[in-house]
Amino acid sequence: MANENGQVYGLTILSPIIEDQRLDIEHATQLRWYLERMPRDHHSPFAKVSSTYLARLVVLDDVVFVGKPACEEHLKSRYLIFETNFDGDLDTYLKRMAAEVPTFVHDVWQHCVGYPGVENVDAFVTYMKKCQIETTFFFADVNDHTVQQTLIALKTQSSLAHFVEKNQGQPPAELQKLFGAFLKRLDTEPPPLPGDRRGDKSPAEDPAHD
Amino acid sequence: MTNINGKAYAMNAITPMKPWKTPILRLIFFVFGAFKCLQADLKNLSFIHFARWVIIGRNQFPHLSSEQPAENLHYDYMIFFSNFNGTWNQYIDAFSAVLATGLNKIWQWSEKFPGSVPVTPFKDYIRLVQFDTDYYYNCYPKATTNDVKAALRVQDALNHFKETSQTLSPAEFEKAYQDFLIKVQPDLGSTGVAPVGT
Repeated sequence: MANENGQVYGLTILSPIIEDQRLDIEHATQLRWYLERMPRDHHSPFAKVSSTYLARLVVLDDVVFVGKPACEEHLKSRYLIFETNFDGDLDTYLKRMAAEVPTFVHDVWQHCVGYPGVENVDAFVTYMKKCQIETTFFFADVNDHTVQQTLIALKTQSSLAHFVEKNQGQPPAELQKLFGAFLKRLDTEPPPLPGDRRGDKSPAEDPAHD
Repeated sequence: MTNINGKAYAMNAITPMKPWKTPILRLIFFVFGAFKCLQADLKNLSFIHFARWVIIGRNQFPHLSSEQPAENLHYDYMIFFSNFNGTWNQYIDAFSAVLATGLNKIWQWSEKFPGSVPVTPFKDYIRLVQFDTDYYYNCYPKATTNDVKAALRVQDALNHFKETSQTLSPAEFEKAYQDFLIKVQPDLGSTGVAPVGT
């Protein structure tokens, strides 16, 4: 199935946006203003739906006219495109969205035609699947690790590099002891926050722990 | 800029296709998917986390209410989404230089596609069909695709070293530690904040 590549699912959703000529500020504009203000780091709603690798929301205003002799045509609706890459299965992911970030989901999809709300999770999942477009070809460079496994590996890489640099030339017995303590700290640290853009230092690298 | 989050750039592009060409392109994608060796150049570039091509038939745009006007289109559309590292120019240049044949096989079915070489008309075409991202989330904003691959190799090596070094004497541990470092040293390093790109 082209939506999946290894452990990664590539979900593509096109939700038609409500057109209401009576409004001073149309739904598409309200949606864009809302998205502009949303945090994009570890406070992002997608950081809470922690199986998300990368996700985007895009308002598609119209199709593109590439020039003659192609014919010019236009969409009758604008569409909200939701493109996301996550580990796991589709139903679980959509249910997590409804359960873990209901306010965000509502604030976004309330501007879309046929949105049933998030109170009835099954109705929300059904609605999203009605808007799903099958991915024709999905490429994932790394497709065999979860988001959590990947974030932990990135932390390990950074911490190990720091440990190696700091403990060059230690006598064997001392090195073995320090390395054991380093591994324990790595294991007991809280997992990294998805989307975190702050500095790289983890507690395992913190001199206070040495 | 909302197309960028950390070291990843979100690109969207939409191109029209005559409906009779769509089954041919679907077949090409099927072949690309079935024979992983055909993805080798794309994988070897190693700066694309995820990418997808989505063909939407002219009658497949979701229609959810009688109040929503039905679309009446002549063309099918292909939308391309990419999550890549580096700048837009680096990405398009690399595509044109390394993947020209593969790209042409995919986009030659789109209206007015000029070919991916020479690069100037190719870039003009991409600029025409690209549209901006309104919100972009990245779970590892400080990491490139290569960082992710290297980190996973380090994690695997460390897990193995942990298992095999527990009962060693200090002298044996030192030797095993050196061997371990020689193995992982190409993959060690820290991720960090991305440079400002265009």
